[in-house]
Amino acid sequence: MKKNLKIIGKSHKKLDGKERVSGKAVYGHDIELPNMLHGAILRTKYPCANLISIDTSRAEALGGVECVITAKDIEVSNISFKRDHPVLKNGTVNCNRDEIAAVAAVTKEIANKAIRLIDVKYEVKEGVYDPIEALKEDAPRINEFGKGEEKFGNKNIAETFHYDHGDMEEQKAKSHVIVKKTYELPRVTHACMATSNITAEYSEFDGRLTLWSSTQVPFLYQRDIAHALKMDPSKIRIIQPIIGGGFGSKLDMHPFEPICALLSMKSKKPVQILFSREEEFVLSPTRQPMIITLTTGADEKGKFTFREVDIIKDNGAYTSWGATTPFVMMQTFSSLYQIPACSFDSKAVYTNNPFAGSFRGYGNPQATFALETNIDLMAEELGMSKAEIRLKNANFKGEVTGQGLHFKTCGAIPALEKVLEKSNYDQRATERKEGRYLRGVGLGSMLHVGGGAKIYRSDGCGTTLKLDDYGYLTIITGSNEIGQGSETVLAMIAMEELGIDEDKIKVINTDTDVKPWDVGVHASRTSFVAGNSLLGAIKLIKEKLSKKASELLEIESDSWTYDNGVMLANEQEIKIDKVAREIHFGSPHELCSVTYFYEPPSSFQDKEFKGDVSGNYAFASQAIEVEVDTVTGNIAVLGVHVSQDVGRVLNPVGLQGQMEGGVATGVGYALTEEMIYEEGILKNPSFHGYKILTTTDMPPVHFYPIETYDEAGPYGSKGAGEAPLIPTAAAIANAVSDAIGVRFNSLPITPEKILRALSEKKEKELVS
Amino acid sequence: MKIVFKINGKQVSMEVKPSLLLIDLIRDVLKLKGTKPGCLEGECGACSVIVDGEAINSCMYLAINVNGKEVSTIEGLTGTENPLHKVQDKMLEHGAVQCGFCTSGIVMTTKAYSDKCLEEGITPTREEVKKSLEGNLCRCTGYAKIIDAAEAVYKK
Amino acid sequence: MDFDVINTTTKDELLTAIEDHQDTNFRIGAGYTDLIMNLRFQPTEGMTLINIAQMKDPSFISIEEQQDHIVLGTLVTASNIVNSPLIKLEFPVLHEAALSVASTQIRNSATVGGNICNASPSADMAGALVALKAVCCVLNSKGEERIEPLASFIVGVGKTSLDKNEVLKSISIPRNSGDQLKSGFEKVGTRNSMEISIVSLAYHFQLDESGKVVDAGVSCGAVAPTIPFAESACDFMVGKDLDGLSETDKEEFAENVLKYATPISDIRASEWYRKEVLFNISQAIFD
Repeated sequence: MKKNLKIIGKSHKKLDGKERVSGKAVYGHDIELPNMLHGAILRTKYPCANLISIDTSRAEALGGVECVITAKDIEVSNISFKRDHPVLKNGTVNCNRDEIAAVAAVTKEIANKAIRLIDVKYEVKEGVYDPIEALKEDAPRINEFGKGEEKFGNKNIAETFHYDHGDMEEQKAKSHVIVKKTYELPRVTHACMATSNITAEYSEFDGRLTLWSSTQVPFLYQRDIAHALKMDPSKIRIIQPIIGGGFGSKLDMHPFEPICALLSMKSKKPVQILFSREEEFVLSPTRQPMIITLTTGADEKGKFTFREVDIIKDNGAYTSWGATTPFVMMQTFSSLYQIPACSFDSKAVYTNNPFAGSFRGYGNPQATFALETNIDLMAEELGMSKAEIRLKNANFKGEVTGQGLHFKTCGAIPALEKVLEKSNYDQRATERKEGRYLRGVGLGSMLHVGGGAKIYRSDGCGTTLKLDDYGYLTIITGSNEIGQGSETVLAMIAMEELGIDEDKIKVINTDTDVKPWDVGVHASRTSFVAGNSLLGAIKLIKEKLSKKASELLEIESDSWTYDNGVMLANEQEIKIDKVAREIHFGSPHELCSVTYFYEPPSSFQDKEFKGDVSGNYAFASQAIEVEVDTVTGNIAVLGVHVSQDVGRVLNPVGLQGQMEGGVATGVGYALTEEMIYEEGILKNPSFHGYKILTTTDMPPVHFYPIETYDEAGPYGSKGAGEAPLIPTAAAIANAVSDAIGVRFNSLPITPEKILRALSEKKEKELVS
Repeated sequence: MKIVFKINGKQVSMEVKPSLLLIDLIRDVLKLKGTKPGCLEGECGACSVIVDGEAINSCMYLAINVNGKEVSTIEGLTGTENPLHKVQDKMLEHGAVQCGFCTSGIVMTTKAYSDKCLEEGITPTREEVKKSLEGNLCRCTGYAKIIDAAEAVYKK
Repeated sequence: MDFDVINTTTKDELLTAIEDHQDTNFRIGAGYTDLIMNLRFQPTEGMTLINIAQMKDPSFISIEEQQDHIVLGTLVTASNIVNSPLIKLEFPVLHEAALSVASTQIRNSATVGGNICNASPSADMAGALVALKAVCCVLNSKGEERIEPLASFIVGVGKTSLDKNEVLKSISIPRNSGDQLKSGFEKVGTRNSMEISIVSLAYHFQLDESGKVVDAGVSCGAVAPTIPFAESACDFMVGKDLDGLSETDKEEFAENVLKYATPISDIRASEWYRKEVLFNISQAIFD
C-alpha cells in the first residue's frame, strides 16, 4: 500500500480553480435563461397560526405578474424525510419559514411587490418553542402529519433512537467516579457564501423538468422532487451549477425547490428563485439544537466503564435528514474511546421552531462536546492528567467496538500523542494563571466515518471513463464538486494511474442525465467512494488498453506502466492515444470507454444499530490554546493543533484547506455563532448579527496528518472533510475551563457568559 | 440619469435609474457576473470592486456615483498576455479557493491593497494583510490560505 | 428601491436642492453605508435623494489644518482619517476609532458626517469626536452657518439637532495644548472585525511635561441613547499624574464613567454586561 507515487501526496492546484479565481465560474445566481421569470415566496408572518384566508387577487392583477400559486392550486405530495412537510401550507402554519404562496413575475422587483400584495388573514395561536414543553401531555399537536402518537406514544415525537451494548449494571458497579451533566447546544447555520438558489424549466411538450440546483445529493434530490411533484424521476434532469458552499445544507430538498418547478409548470417559462441573505438565515436548515444528558463512569485507574446518554433534539416543525443525526452520535458515544457499556436514547421533538437539518459533522460536534467535557470532569475527580485518561482509553487498531465498528486501522493514539507534543501540553496545562489575560489549553478527540456511511440502500458511486482518439480522458463521475476539491483528487488519481497530463483530463459531474448514480456529498465520503469507483474504472480501462497494446506490440505482459502519455512493458512503449485509436478504428471497433460501480464493503446496520457501517474510520485530536481577557470576557484562540488519521494524504493543500475551514467553523460554533430565536422568530438574520469568523479572528491551524494506510480507501486514504470541526468546540471549552476554572455546559461561550462566570466565581470566593 | 465612466478600461456612457445600485449595474446591466452578491448589506465583501483605486462594496454604492470614475471588476484583471493576474495566480497556487463565491471580492480587495502598497513601497505584515481582508467573509477556507496567497503577492 | 436623485457638486447646488425640497420627503446621501440599508427597508416612492457624494467643494471633502483646529469636511471618509498622519499623531483616539469601523471597503465609503448624522449610540468615529470635544458646523439652506458641540448635536437614537433645512458641513477638533498624550479607543465586540460596538470607550488625555493631566476628554458608546461625554470622569482626571494613579483612582474614574451609562439589553448584549465591561475597560486603560 505504501508504494511510491508521483502525483498522489503532492500538492496540486485546484482543477477548476482558474474559473473560480477569474470570476468565470457560473453559479446559480449567474444563470439567465431566455424569457426567464423571477419567483418569490410569501412566508408566514407568525410562527404558529391558523390560516383563515389567502387573497391573491391584488397580486395577480399587478402588471408583470405571470402566475401566483397557493396550496389549493397545486397537486403535490408532502416532502421531507418523514413526509410530514407540505410544500405550500394550507390550514395551519407551524414555523417562521412556512410558505403560503408563490409568485412568478418578469422582474425580481415585481415578484417581491406582488408578494406584499397578497392578503393573508391569520388566527394567531400560541406556539410551543421548548421541546420539553412539547413533550407534555397538554401540549398541542404541532405537526398534523406526525406519527408520534402511534409510533412513540407521544404526539410530538418525530423520531426516536435506542441503542445499547454491554452490561450496564456491572460497569456501574465497577465505577469509581460517575459524572452526570446536562449540555445545551445552540442552533447554528451553514451561512454559505452563496445564498440558496434554483432555476427551473418545464417543457410542456415532453413533460420534462430541468432544474439548475445546488443540491449536494442530485440523485436523491431527483427522487424527492419526483415524489413531491408526482412525476416520474427520470423525467427530471438535475444540473448542478457551481455551488457556493454546501456543508450539509443542501442534503435535504426544501419547499422552495418544488415551488420553483411548480411556477415554471404553471407559467410555462423558466423561473428562478434566489434567496436574499435574510431569507438564507431564516430558511436554511440548522444544526440540531439539543439537550444532552450524559452520565459517564470510570474505574479508579481511569478506565472508562459506561456511558448513559439521553438526548432531546429540537426537531422544529418538520422532519429533515437531520433527525437521523443519532446514527453518528451513537457511534461517538458507543465507540469513541474503549467503552464496555453504553446506552443511548434520543428523541427528536416537534416544536414551532424552524426545522433543523444536516450540517458538517452531523450531530458529532454536539456529542463530542458533551463527551469530551465529561472526560475532563472525570479526570479532575480522579486527580488524573487529562492527557493520560484519554491515552489510557484510546481506540486501537483491530478493535471491534460494542457497536460493531471494526477499526482495521486506527490513528487515535498517534494523533493524540502528536497534539500533546506539538502543543507542549504538559507544560501549558500546569502553567500558573494570573493577570488580565489568562491562558488555558484543552483537548478534544473525535471519531467519524471515513469510508462513507451506509444509511441508504446503496452507498456507492459510478464512474464512466472515456479515452478519446487523441488521448484525452473524460471522467464522468457520479460524485459532486461543492468546493471541497473532489474533481482535483479524481484528476490526480487518473494522472497517477494512467500517466495522462492534467490538461488532457476533463471531469464531468454536473448532470444527472449524463452521470452515473452516486448517493451524494455527505459523510466525508466523496474522495473515498468516488476515488475507489474511479480506481475500479481505471482497472477496467487498463485491461482494455493493455490487451490492445500487447496485440499491437506483439508482446505478452501483465505489468504495464503508464507514464507521460505512453504505455510501457518489456522495454517497449506505445503512445496511449495510439492504443485508444486502434481500439476504436481497428477490429473489432470498440470505444475506449468503461463504466464501473463501486459499493463500499460496509454493511447496513441491523435493527439494534449494530454493524460496521463505514469502509473505514477517521480519528482526530485537537489541542487548542486560548487566552481569556478577564476585562471584556473575550476569548482569543491562540493556536489550534490538529492531528488526524486521514489514512493517506492525497492532495496536501486541499486537505490542509479542509482542516483550516473546518476549524474555523468549529471556533465559530464554540465562541461566536448562534441563531437567536425568540418565540419562533429569528432575531439576527444577517452577517451582522450572526457572527462567523473574519480574517482577524482566525487562529493559526497546525496540522499533523497521521497516515495509517487503510486498505479500504484509495491509496489507503480515509474521508477527512467533517472531522476538523468536530472536536474544536470541545477542546476550546476545555481550554477555557483550564484558563479560568469555570465549566460551560452550553455554547457559544460568549464574552458575556465569561464575565458572568468570573463575577459569580468572585462572589463565591468572597463568601467562602 | 446619464452617467459616463470607465469600466475595466473601457469608457461607457449610459442612462441609469437613479436608485440603481452599482452591483446591479455591473451584474444585471453590464452582465459582468464575476462580481458576487453575497449579502447586499456590506457585510461579506463578495461584491467588492475597485472604484478609482479603492475597494468598495458595490452593494452599498449607488451606480450614479461612478460618474466620472474608473471601475474595475474581476473581469478586468484577466489580461491578454497572462490569462491570470498575479493576485489570481497566487490565490490558485496557495489553495485559497474552495467554493470560490467569495473569491472575486477577495481578489479585488487584495488587488487594491497591493496597488496601494506598491505605490507606497510598503511590504505589509501578516497582521496588516489580515486587517486588509477583514471585510471579506469566507466560510470554506478558514482564511489561512487566502492570507498566505495575499502575502505572496506582496513579496515581489 | 425607487426614488429620485438630485446630484449636487457645489455648495450652492446643495443649498438650492435643500431649499427646493422643504415641502417634500428627502434624504441626504453621502457614503451610503448606512443609508442604503435604511432605504431598502422602507418605502421610498416619492422620496428624493440629495446626493452629495460627488461634492467638489473643499470645505466638505478635505481635512484642513488650522491654527487652533483641525477641520474635517463632512464627506471625509473613515479611510481618509485612518490615512492622515496628522490625525494619527494628534488624535490617536480618532485614528483608532476610524480604523475600527467595519472593513476597508466600508471605510473607503463611510463618511464622518454620515457617522455623526446617523446618530447611532455605537458610532465609533462620533464617539472619538465627542471625546475630542469636537464642534459641528451646520449650514442652512440660506447659507447661514451655526456652531454646535457634537455632544449636544446628537440628541437621541437616530436623531440630531439638524433642522430640515440644514446640513452638517464640517467638524472642528480643537488642537492639543498639552505636551504628551494618552489617547485611545477601546471597542468591545465579539469578533475582532466587522463589529458594531457593544460598548466603546474613547479617551483623550493631554498631559503636561511631568505627566499630569491638563485636559481630559472621555466618551462612552452604545450605553445610552446618545454618546455621552463623561464630564465628571474628565474632571476627576484633570490634575492627576497618570503614572501615579492608584487602584482606587482607577476605580473611581471607572465609576465616574459608569454614571453616564444607561444601557439597554438587546440581542447583542445585556444591560448587565454593558455596564460591567464599561467599568472594566475604563479601569483597564491605565494598566
